[in-house]
Amino acid sequence: MTGFFSPPPLKGILSLLLVMLLLPAFPSFGATADLEQSVQPIQIPNPASDLWREVRQRDAAMTGSTQALGVDGGVLINPTGEKWRQFRMQQLLPYGGYALGAVVLILLLFYTLRGRVPIKAGMSDKKLFRYSVYERMIHWFMALIFLFLAFSGLILLFGRSLLLPLMGPALFSLLASASKEGHNLFGPLFALALVLIFFRFVRRNIYQKGDLTWLLRGGGVIGKKHVPSNFFNMGEKSLFWLLVFVGGAIAASGFFLLFPVFGQGRVVMELSHVVHGIGALLMLSVIIGHIYIGTIGMEGAIEGMKSGYCDLNWAREHHDWWAEKCEQRGEVLDRDQPISARGADALGTPSGQMSEEAGK
Amino acid sequence: MARMKFYCDVERCIECNGCVTACKNENEVPWGVNRRRVVTIKDGEPGERSLSVACMHCSDAPCAAVCPVDCFYTTDDGVVLHDKDICIGCGYCFYACPFGAPQFPEDGAFASRGKMDKCTFCAGGPEQDNSAEEQRKYGSNRLAEGKLPLCAEMCATKALLAGDANIISTIYRTRVVNRGASVLSRGVSYQNAELRAARGVKGKSSLND
Repeated sequence: MTGFFSPPPLKGILSLLLVMLLLPAFPSFGATADLEQSVQPIQIPNPASDLWREVRQRDAAMTGSTQALGVDGGVLINPTGEKWRQFRMQQLLPYGGYALGAVVLILLLFYTLRGRVPIKAGMSDKKLFRYSVYERMIHWFMALIFLFLAFSGLILLFGRSLLLPLMGPALFSLLASASKEGHNLFGPLFALALVLIFFRFVRRNIYQKGDLTWLLRGGGVIGKKHVPSNFFNMGEKSLFWLLVFVGGAIAASGFFLLFPVFGQGRVVMELSHVVHGIGALLMLSVIIGHIYIGTIGMEGAIEGMKSGYCDLNWAREHHDWWAEKCEQRGEVLDRDQPISARGADALGTPSGQMSEEAGK
Repeated sequence: MARMKFYCDVERCIECNGCVTACKNENEVPWGVNRRRVVTIKDGEPGERSLSVACMHCSDAPCAAVCPVDCFYTTDDGVVLHDKDICIGCGYCFYACPFGAPQFPEDGAFASRGKMDKCTFCAGGPEQDNSAEEQRKYGSNRLAEGKLPLCAEMCATKALLAGDANIISTIYRTRVVNRGASVLSRGVSYQNAELRAARGVKGKSSLND
């Protein structure tokens, strides 16, 4: 036992005592520095704190072994869970809500100030073939699935704070449960719609000369001058690519969340949820704008997606290069003309493909 | 009011999995779900330690914070419970929980998640105490019978402690104090051979032996 109090600590204590005795005598002597030197902590290995440091994964990811089946069973403490919680509760929820609110507010403000974009020349008695039956079908297929996924997702994200106090736990649980099951079932269909849309519309959505001008003038919002465009304008093309990339990321991350059977751990699912949440809110904000322009925001914009034909004057004002091309080819139809040769072909492609116009 | 806590003494746990078995049997836990598991770290290496882990009944429970339907509640005893009638099986509690306590039985197509299941501190659920429905959904309610969780009650080495936090911490503190003295004098279980060697202390695993 006596050997335990070996010379080094004793010497340390003696020198500490000496310093303490001398301190009053030399008040201005660098006292704190001397104190720090003399009371250096004795290096005692502490296996318990080493153990907990490893368990908390402070230095590196540490996994143990366990008899329990399942992924991540050997992880005693997963520190990223708390980060995910902070993200969801303190960032995604409030800022996501502000973002959606801001988009709606901006559109309301724009509508109040600038009003509906009219067809300046008025509706003509001529029309142009714009979208085939197949194209309209995949568009509305995507639209319906997107809206369902958006509403069910919003219920899961904001329902607890907005709907639960109104509906009560039993009813809200039913709604949330239906939202979760529906979100899971329709999620894969969104990926399918995305693939169909991509292959059908990708050629007409490749960026071209003139798109930069469109962007710089904000699609005609900035300044009075008209901005010409092709079959799709720069905004529509950007929406397409945003849908492809952000929508693709949403679908891929949703895949990891939906099927917990590929051996992905919690960290992968937490990251997937972050991507899914940010991506979905971004996409939704943009789609709200898309819906606005398609419906109340612009006269004649929805015609093409409704009947497959758009008004000639609308095409001249919003997609003038494409309209010009159609007129040169003599593809202008009378308004009463019910079915064209192209329109009868369900899988037909409207004229004015970007690849053709690109060579112009 | 008591504040119920688990504590697992790593110096005593021998990885017998008795607590896991006791829990599964007492609560009729669904297939594929383990409310409690024993994790061994540094298996087969020096410093190997085992820990039994389940829901730790947090004061500020992350699962309750992120639940989109607010199905969690904390009892007067500080036990975190959830209502399976409200739970929608989204898995958010599983993401947020640091201990991996929430478990999901495979239910329906593509192994999608059923209603969450986790340790209840043997305190059942929101149903009538010890009713057949409570037994079916949540397992045993030993707390209502004045008993503590079976995992801790059956622990052979008394490594797993369960009960009022004050009592648990007192028991553990006493153990640490006693153990500390014995370790410094003889060296029983800590790996401080170097420390003892530097001080010339004889011990079972001392470098001086």
